[in-house]
Amino acid sequence: MAIDGLIILDPTGRPIIQSSYTTYPAAYPLLHIEALNNALAKAPREGSVDPVIYVGELSCSSACCHVEVGGMRFLATISGDVDPLIAFAFLDAFIEILQDYFGVVSVATLKDNFDIVYQLLEETLDSSGHPLTTSPNLLSDIVLSPSLISKLLASVSPATPGVPSVRQGGSFGSNGASGAFTSPIPWRKAGVRHNHNEILFDVVEEMRGIVGKNGTTLVSNVFGKIESNSKLSGTPDLTLTFTNPNVMTDCAFHPCVRLQKWTRDNALSFVPPEGRFILADYQYRPPQSALVSNVPIPLSLKANMDMGEFGGTFALTLTSRLIKVMENLELKFYLGEDATSAQCTLSSAGSSVGSVGSADGSWSFNSRTKMLQWEILNMRSSGSWILRGSWTSKIKAPRPAHAFQIHFEIPSYSFSSLKVDQLRLSSETYKMYKGVRMRSKGSIEWRW
Amino acid sequence: MDGINLNALSENATRLGMRIQETIAEHTRDLSLTRGGSSLFDMADDKAKNITKQLESSSDREKLDAMKRLIALISKNRPVSSYFPAVVKNVASPNLELRKLVYIYLLRCAPSEPDLALLSINTFQRDLADPSPLIRAMALRVLSGIRVPTVATIVLMAVRKSAADPSPYVRKAAALAVIKVYKVDQAHHPTLLDIMTTLLRDRSPLSLGTAVLALDTIAPSRLDLLHVHFRRLCRALPDIDAWGQVDVLRVLVRYVRTMLPKPVPANERQGEEVDKDLKLLLACAEPLFMNKNPAVVLAVARAFYYLAPSSMLSKISAPLLRLLSVSREVERVALAYLLVVARSHPVLFITSHNRFLVRVDDAEQVKRRKISVLLALCTVDNHQTLLREFMDYAQDTDDSVVGDAIHAIGRIASLVPSSTPQCLTALMGMINSKQDTIVSNAVLVLKSLVQNQLLTPSSTSTTTLPTPFSSQQALLTSSIPSLTPSISTSLSAAPLSFTSTESTSVAQAPLSIIAQLAQRIDDIRHPHARACVLWLVGQYGSVTGTKTAVEGVADWAPDVLRKAARSFNTEASLVKLQTLTLAAKLILLAPTHRILVLLAQYVFTLARYDEDWDVRDRARMLRTLLVGAVTGIMGSNDEEGIGENWNKEEQAGRPGVVLRREQVTRVLFEGKTGTIEEELVAGECVFEF
Repeated sequence: MAIDGLIILDPTGRPIIQSSYTTYPAAYPLLHIEALNNALAKAPREGSVDPVIYVGELSCSSACCHVEVGGMRFLATISGDVDPLIAFAFLDAFIEILQDYFGVVSVATLKDNFDIVYQLLEETLDSSGHPLTTSPNLLSDIVLSPSLISKLLASVSPATPGVPSVRQGGSFGSNGASGAFTSPIPWRKAGVRHNHNEILFDVVEEMRGIVGKNGTTLVSNVFGKIESNSKLSGTPDLTLTFTNPNVMTDCAFHPCVRLQKWTRDNALSFVPPEGRFILADYQYRPPQSALVSNVPIPLSLKANMDMGEFGGTFALTLTSRLIKVMENLELKFYLGEDATSAQCTLSSAGSSVGSVGSADGSWSFNSRTKMLQWEILNMRSSGSWILRGSWTSKIKAPRPAHAFQIHFEIPSYSFSSLKVDQLRLSSETYKMYKGVRMRSKGSIEWRW
Repeated sequence: MDGINLNALSENATRLGMRIQETIAEHTRDLSLTRGGSSLFDMADDKAKNITKQLESSSDREKLDAMKRLIALISKNRPVSSYFPAVVKNVASPNLELRKLVYIYLLRCAPSEPDLALLSINTFQRDLADPSPLIRAMALRVLSGIRVPTVATIVLMAVRKSAADPSPYVRKAAALAVIKVYKVDQAHHPTLLDIMTTLLRDRSPLSLGTAVLALDTIAPSRLDLLHVHFRRLCRALPDIDAWGQVDVLRVLVRYVRTMLPKPVPANERQGEEVDKDLKLLLACAEPLFMNKNPAVVLAVARAFYYLAPSSMLSKISAPLLRLLSVSREVERVALAYLLVVARSHPVLFITSHNRFLVRVDDAEQVKRRKISVLLALCTVDNHQTLLREFMDYAQDTDDSVVGDAIHAIGRIASLVPSSTPQCLTALMGMINSKQDTIVSNAVLVLKSLVQNQLLTPSSTSTTTLPTPFSSQQALLTSSIPSLTPSISTSLSAAPLSFTSTESTSVAQAPLSIIAQLAQRIDDIRHPHARACVLWLVGQYGSVTGTKTAVEGVADWAPDVLRKAARSFNTEASLVKLQTLTLAAKLILLAPTHRILVLLAQYVFTLARYDEDWDVRDRARMLRTLLVGAVTGIMGSNDEEGIGENWNKEEQAGRPGVVLRREQVTRVLFEGKTGTIEEELVAGECVFEF
């Protein structure tokens, strides 16, 4: 009646790490691995695999919930009356912990540190299937991170002559563990000291929108996230206020935030954990309009599609409606599973001075995923970018997707223009460095 | 860096450093500072022989290395129980790193080696008194994880001791151990329940959540144990960790549903009456809607859904919608829950229906769920938008999504009867599509729509809906009268992209739709769709009054039979059955038309030698049915063999009832109303003859 276990599969679908399935038959984990691999092999296009795959062959039916990270698949198996959301929340928490420990989560880092991964798995998921300790700050007291171990080795080895005299009573084991669980706050470890105190906030906003065939915006929402990186000594009690907190709605907060204070004063009052964490999620509510779901989309696309037999032609014109420069713009178009090839030419019209028209764009066609991709690294406010081309298909009536997907990034910009008013520190006396950065991105679906 | 911890570590590190130096001296081996785990992980199996030797060496480093190799072997599902004796010796090692790896090994292998596991029990018992809470908790976890019934009493003692431990972390482990002991041997239930009462009294939010979970597992019916703790649990809710919040909420919801009176809805005399303990729970749970963990948000939503008075129910909609933007995986699961809520309380989400619009990069499951949710939210106000959306989704690259979208259009027509003409126009446009899936699905939906229209000619009458939609039906009908004018105006200016001049003019008349379908029979290839068209042509192919080429039969009908007869041998059984039905109906309408009768005879003859039982049976039945109504249907003199036998039998005046033409007409044509209702429920076509 809980999470049965967790398995990590490498990109070829072979398990590299798995939790103990001692109370289950030996075939149990294998069955789930096979079910997942089958589903992945059968998937017609990327991302079309159901994240929850039911496995009904056993006497009790079970399911595997899977997430992809760094080419690997993390899968949690559940059985009985269990909410799959718990499995996904746990997977997310576990992956976050791995990122905290190893920086990058890849097959190489996991294999290099497999003993640490096993220790983490043991501490985060009890053998009864219930999540145990998932706060990164608490875990770092129990399981040493690899960087800490190697740092210690490096700093200590030259000092050999003096070693015996430094040696004191007490065993390795009890010493290493005595630091654990002394903190009164579950998400923050006690006794942190920094020479340089700083806290940084990154406000990242993402627009998700759909534009209909006739160019009207069907829906567009902006979801924001405040990411923080805290390096503060002691037990800092912070209060973060905004000049325009009304733009935030439907918020979700890190457990450290005092919820009542937010409901009462619209101020974020919290004792931050050490290191990186996500302070808050919110949705942008435009001040004037009553509709939450209609933030103007910062670009426009004109698509002339001509479907023929065994293929078709298209002419796409992209124009920016923003004064800021949009970066890494990427337009994707699925040409259907029978598409064979595509041929395009790029041009730009009315582009501003000092740039070579066609140089800042490129296109490619991936014959495996059948995806046509058009990239523009820098998209300035004026001018338009044009992609003309044609594609061929094996079948007479080709079946491309009925929409383009456009992704873009806008540095130092926010849709909501959320502004931090001030950050006050109480309960500690030192001066700290504070910083706020804004960043936006978008993913728009444009139907034709 | 972490001050205290670093002190402790650097002290240990000096020791470690010394060890490393010794190792270098002993083995003159290079010390690499990179961890090199990968080489250990992928080592060849023959290297495994050294493990026992390494484990027995005096150097911690060697032992650590050996343990890592062992863990790597476990990871690759190799047998490792042979190393058990060597590993057990290291249980009491002062090196914490080594000890943790030994614990991991023991947790995995103890169940298969119970006798050997017993050897290490003394050490664990000693560890339970260790000054470090980490060691105490670990020892308890291993001890309870051994799952050997014979040591249950020892484990029980350990659990009882740990339940009173000063560290909440150890008490948490104790609560989890209660679950494990219970699963191994349920005989200890009374003792465990006794321990539970201690655990439930816990003041620390860290262990409280697990205590409630343990109670729920070992004694789900003993909610009475929570009487004294209920209010404290409610108030502690915000401080419990996310996983605990989910468990506590689940148990508290059950508690409230069992123990407290249901909220009384407001009436004229007095306002809403809500029990004060229930109020307390809802007030304490509400801030948790702002939790980052999706499972917690859902748990709170569940509490409100089942417990809250109807005036507070609207609080669940925004948090649930927020889950849609958390991640693809969470969206997939959340949609399943949203669908349930949307069906029972569509009002909660009607204003935010655009949050459910399908994106092309959604997974297939997500797309289909979204279509279902959108349908559940369909009202007179938004049906235009939804219709346009579904028409877009009909262009999807997933066949199942196309099917769902087109069926959804049919549903709109039955949910908002006034929109039927528009839906018909949209579907008629799809008949001309180049995509097989679109065409066949459109035909299936058209069939039921047309049939529906012919049965209930006036669009104002409401169709009966299957039960899940009844609440929505009430909502729809209540708002219909005020809105009818706006619909009729929008109809005339329907901005539908599929609209062609030809189809708009015919869309109103169901019979002309059938005529159109009949003309397109060659392009309709999907067996289900073909069968549908054949059935429609047969059922509604009769005309009265107007002059046609064949008396009593519409002009477009006979040609369909001709085409179906020509391709009879290559059709699916489903289509063959319907071809037979069509033939029977047509000759019944025009029993004297020579060509039609010949065609029918041809089809029946082919069917008699068909591979499929059902086809042969159906042909035989229809033929006998028609004996009295159509002359010559039993085959004439030009048939030999069986045909002659039949004729002889017939002439011999064989027993059985021979029906008159009017009676046959009744059997074949009437009583088809049930089909639509069944179809709506099952979502599958039901064919009759």
